[in-house]
This record gives sequence, structure tokens and C-alpha cells, in this order.
Amino acid sequence: MRILLVEDDAEVARFVRKGLMEAGHTVEHAPNGRDGLFMAASEQFDVLVLDRMLPGGVDGVRLVETLRGQGNRTPVLFLSALNAVDERVKGLKAGGDDYLTKPFAFAELLARVEALGRRPAAEVPTTRLKVADLELDLLSRTVTRAGKKIDVQPREFRLLEHLMRHAGQVVTRTMLLEKVWDYHFDPQTNVIDVHVSRLRHKLDKGFDKPLIHTVRNAGYMIRAD
Amino acid sequence: MVLWWNTAGALDRQVDAAIRADATALVERMSVRGIPAVAAAIEDRMAVDVQNETLYLLLAPDGARLAGNLSAWPSEASGEFPWIRIPLQRDGAVSEARLFRLELGGGHRLLVGRDVAEKLRLRGLLSEGIAWAASASAAFAVLGAWLLRRSLERRLNPIYRTARAISAGDLTRRVPLSERDDEFDKLGITMNAMLDRIAQLMEGVRGVSDAIAHDLRTPIARARAKLEESLHAAHDEDSLRAAVEQGIADLDAIARVFQAVLRIAEVEAGARRAAFAPTDLAPVLADIAELYGASAEAREQHLAVDLPESLDLVGDRDLLAQAVVNLLDNALKFTPEGGTVRLSARLSEAHAEIEVADDGPGMPDADRRRAGERFFRADAARTTPGSGLGLSLVRAVASLHRGELLLRDTHPDAASPGLTATLRLPAA
Amino acid sequence: MLRAGTLLLAVALCPGAGRGEQPMRVTTDSSAYCTELTQRFAAQATTMPASAVALAEEGQRLCQGGHVRTGIAKLRRALRVQQAGG
Repeated sequence: MRILLVEDDAEVARFVRKGLMEAGHTVEHAPNGRDGLFMAASEQFDVLVLDRMLPGGVDGVRLVETLRGQGNRTPVLFLSALNAVDERVKGLKAGGDDYLTKPFAFAELLARVEALGRRPAAEVPTTRLKVADLELDLLSRTVTRAGKKIDVQPREFRLLEHLMRHAGQVVTRTMLLEKVWDYHFDPQTNVIDVHVSRLRHKLDKGFDKPLIHTVRNAGYMIRAD
Repeated sequence: MVLWWNTAGALDRQVDAAIRADATALVERMSVRGIPAVAAAIEDRMAVDVQNETLYLLLAPDGARLAGNLSAWPSEASGEFPWIRIPLQRDGAVSEARLFRLELGGGHRLLVGRDVAEKLRLRGLLSEGIAWAASASAAFAVLGAWLLRRSLERRLNPIYRTARAISAGDLTRRVPLSERDDEFDKLGITMNAMLDRIAQLMEGVRGVSDAIAHDLRTPIARARAKLEESLHAAHDEDSLRAAVEQGIADLDAIARVFQAVLRIAEVEAGARRAAFAPTDLAPVLADIAELYGASAEAREQHLAVDLPESLDLVGDRDLLAQAVVNLLDNALKFTPEGGTVRLSARLSEAHAEIEVADDGPGMPDADRRRAGERFFRADAARTTPGSGLGLSLVRAVASLHRGELLLRDTHPDAASPGLTATLRLPAA
Repeated sequence: MLRAGTLLLAVALCPGAGRGEQPMRVTTDSSAYCTELTQRFAAQATTMPASAVALAEEGQRLCQGGHVRTGIAKLRRALRVQQAGG
């Protein structure tokens, strides 16, 4: 993916850039909002990673508003030291797609960037999701593995759906908490792990090959192999 | 001034009009019956002039006086302009005459006029009156302005003094109020409310910086010490890596504490009240129960849930959810294996109550009173993980919603009394 | 007030200023005119209202007593009443 990073802190920029490049992405970096806006408007990127507060008169929110005003729909991930709930709402309202508070783990950033960049361009309504022999029917709300029906609770269904929509990508615990439970705070204990391991138990019981993998220090991933 | 000009002007115009009418009548008589008739008419008029103000002088072409009561033809009357004003000697006093000159043809000249001393005196009186009235009203205006200013000053002075004391740094000062409940009191009340709010915000800021100074230092020092120790002690890459990972985990924990501190400050400052909305909390609580049910089960604990159909109140959904999550977190943490945690809610007329009860060791009275102070952790809790901020946030959320957090024993008199935390909020 | 005052003051301080001759006098302020008016009153031979006669007599008396202007005023009033009556 081609990623534009607009970040004024040189150390954070270097760290993010290095990490994203090691993950196989191309990264352009702009140190201020004006340059960032110029690059974002004149070149094609898959994801924009924007600091919320930027020097040079154009801050992250302004930058996104301007881009959206021009019809540019490139996915935007905000990085911010501002933690207040209202700030997140403001960022998303301006046209941002995701919001990550500093300090963050790089794995969290990478997972979110990849989730944004590989998002289906147009929301084609799919009715079935399939990973290896696991199938999820969105209409009948049923889960089958190798033809065998698996009973899951509604919340587990949504959890599985989210994982399968991002099959092959890392999904972090906070992403699950936000997307599946709609909580934007950190419950400190490992509530998500409990739910995932329960779901994993249901899916893998009686099969050799586990489908839900734990990615150390990052989160979970569902994949075929 | 306008009044003066109008009245004085009217007097002048009145005199001039009378003179003109008089002259016109005489000219008419002259054209009909000749000079002698004019002379006779003049004598007639003078004879009945009770006001003693008419002035005439009719001269023949040779300068002889034919009629009139002026002693001589004034030199001013020979000028170009027919209207003149001359001083007049009368009874030893000086008066003034307004005269109009007419050429009657054949060398006959006529002056028609009025003694305007009376009018001048009237005008003088009028002017004086106006001057007095003007000075009196000016004096009243000045006095009134002074009184008004003094009373304004008297009422505004306390406010002014308070504002000055506050800008000098004394934030405890408030505007004293009179009992009058007037505009100034309203201003004072508003100012006091504003000052209370500012003081509260400052208190919040101070609280945050105190908390940061006091309680973030310890974990930072601990993390630093661990990293430094491993720098010297670790001999292979694996142990160094483990130390770095531990360091990152410690930093994450510090960041979490930091975030919690900021969140509490945000809540205590009341900034979130803008996000209040009518909310049914029942499904929110059911979600939370579902989220934590799995954790409880995994730890062989039982989470009993007893929720009403709906629990309507006005508030911030996210904050209330977080408060309940914190209570549940605590309860599950302190409940032994096989124990029961009960999440229940009920709605009475005045209150919505959300209750989390556990079978844990409970909390002694002294600790209970301190629970909710930032970073306070009961001795029994020292060995369990946690920042000590959970109940602080719950308490802050409760007071933001004008409610309260009540703590009591679940099973009084039992060896392990447990703790019941009740979040009591005003009903919608 | 000011204007009138200065005018009067100026006139009072320099009588006949700017003319170099005696200030204008009014001939009808004299006792001679008193006599003239008395004669004029008497000349009107028609019926006379009693009030007019009384006024005329009073005017004559005042003129003789030296109160020329008031006397003249009374006489004129008498003449006016006489005219109105006639």
C-alpha cells in the first residue's frame, strides 16, 4: 500500500515510517499540514495517517475537511495526543475513518492502517463470508464448518463476522471492543480474550486446523492456513 | 436656544408687521385724499395711542414738519435701507425706536415706527427666564448625573473590588450580594457562579497535576529501575528482549493510569454534561453483563443479572457504561472462585439504581470512606492489579449525573461480607 | 438677554453715538401735548360717556401734577372710549 504520513514529531514519524516499510508498504512523509494537504491532494494514496494537531496553520481536521470537500475519499487514520471523547467525535465527524490515541503500540497502528487500506472500495453487500472450510451466512445468521452447523450467540456471530471480513489481517483487541461492542474505553481486564477463546473453542472443536490465530503483542487473525 | 430665537424673532416680526400695516394704511389714505389727510390721520392715531409707543414723522419737501412726534429727521433714515433702528431719548431714559421710511411722492417723506423699549424689556425678561430655566435644568442634570453615578459606583464597587482581588490571584473572593435582587445582584450572582466554576476547574487541574506528580512517579520510577537493572544483569538477547517487553508493558500501564486521571478530571470538570441525552440504560447494562459474563465464567465465577425492561434516564451513555464496567471489574477481581457477582438495576420514582454486589472480602468502614479518593487502594487490594482509579471515576461519573455512589456490605455479619456498590442516579 | 443688554449698554454709555447730534426726542411726551389732547377731547362735542369724561379729567390732573406720561395715557384712553362711544 502507498501511505502518506503527516506527522510533525520527527521521532514518531521515523518509527512509524520504518515500521510500515518493514511491513511492506511505501510511505511518504510530510512534516506539516500544508505540505501534507498538497501531497494528499496531488497524489494517489491508499491510506492517510494524520496527526490531529499539526504546525503550519492546517491541522489534521482541517486537512481532512479540505480533502473531503474536494471529493477525495482516501481513508484517514487520525493519530492524536488528545484523548477527550469529544476530540475523537470531532475527528470522525470531519471525515476521519479511525482514531488512535498516542501513545500507541505499533502493532495497533499497523492493524488499523491495513484494515483501512484493504477495506472494500465499494460496500458490495455480501451475504456469505468464507475462510477455508468455515462459512458464515449473513442472511440466515448461521455458521458452518465443513458443512457442520456451529451454534454461536449473536455477539459471537458479530465477532466472527468482523474477523472474517478482515481475514488475513490482524485485528487488535481494542478494534474488536470498538467495532463489535462499540465501547471506546479500555476495560483493563482481558474480557475480549475470554470471548475470543470461547469462540475459538466452538469453531475448532473436532478439527485439526485452528482458524483463529493469536498474534503475539497485537491481537487476532483468522486465516485459512 | 431655539425657543429664544423663536420668541425673540416673533416679537421683532410682530413689531415690523404692525409698522408695515400702519404705513400701508397711511399710503392708501395719501393716494386717496392727499397729504393733509395723512397728517390728520397721524394726529388721530397718536391721540389714541394708549401704549404710548407709536412714532411718526411726516416732513414736507422743504423739511418742515407736517405731523408726527419725533423731534427731528434722523440721519440714519436717509440711508439706502428703509428699515432702521435708532436710540431714542424718552423721559431722561434711553429707549430704542424701530422705524420704516416711506417716500410719499412730491418730496414728502414719512417715518412710521414703534418704540420697542417694551418689547426689548419683554425680550430681556424672556431671555433671562430661559437662561434661568436652562441653568436650573443643567444644574439638575449635573446633580442627577452625579447622584446616578454615585449610586452606580456604590453598587458596582463590590463587584469591581472582587474582580480586582481575583485578577490579583485571590480566587476565593466572591461578590457580596444585597438583598434587593436587582440587576446588580443578578450580575453578582452570575459572576459568583462563573467564579465557582472557574475555581472548580482550577481544582480539577490542580487535582490532575497532584495526581501526576504523586502517583505517576512511582510506576515510572519502578519501570525505569527494572530497565536499568536488566541493562546490567541481562546477558543474552532473550532476557534483554523480555526486559524490554516488560518495560513496554509498564509504560502501557502508566499510559493507562494517565488516561484514567485525565478522564476523571474531564468528568469532574463537568465538560461532558453537554453530551447528556435521554438513554435507556437497560440494553447497555445487558451488553456489559454479556461482555463480562464470559470472563466470570472463565474464572469459575457466577454473574447473576437482574435487569428491568427499561431503565430510562438522562445522561452520558459512554460514561455510565464505563462506570458500571469499573464496578464489575472490581467485583470480579475480588470475588473468589465459585463466588457470585450480582448486577441488578431498578427504577423507583426518584432514582435509578444500578447495583453491583460481590462475595469478596468486602471493605472495612475506614477504607469505604476513602474509597473513591484517587489512587487510594485498600491494603487488601495491594496485591491485585489495578490503578486505584476505578472507584474515583465511578464517583466522578455519579456526581456528574447529580447522583451518588453508595458502598455497603453484601452479607453483614458474615466472615466475608462482600461489597455492594450502588450507583444511585436521579430518574429521568 | 446678552444682545439686548449690550445694545442698551452701548446706547446708554454713548448717547447719540455715531450721529454727532442730540438724541431723538419724542414730542408727544410733553405737557404741551397734554394740552393738545385736552383740547382735542373737548373739541369732540358729541355725547360723552361718563367714564371718558372721568378719564380725561384724571389725565388733566396728572398732567398738571407733573406726571405727564401717565396723564397723556389717561387722556388717550379717554379719547379712545369717546371714539368707541361715538
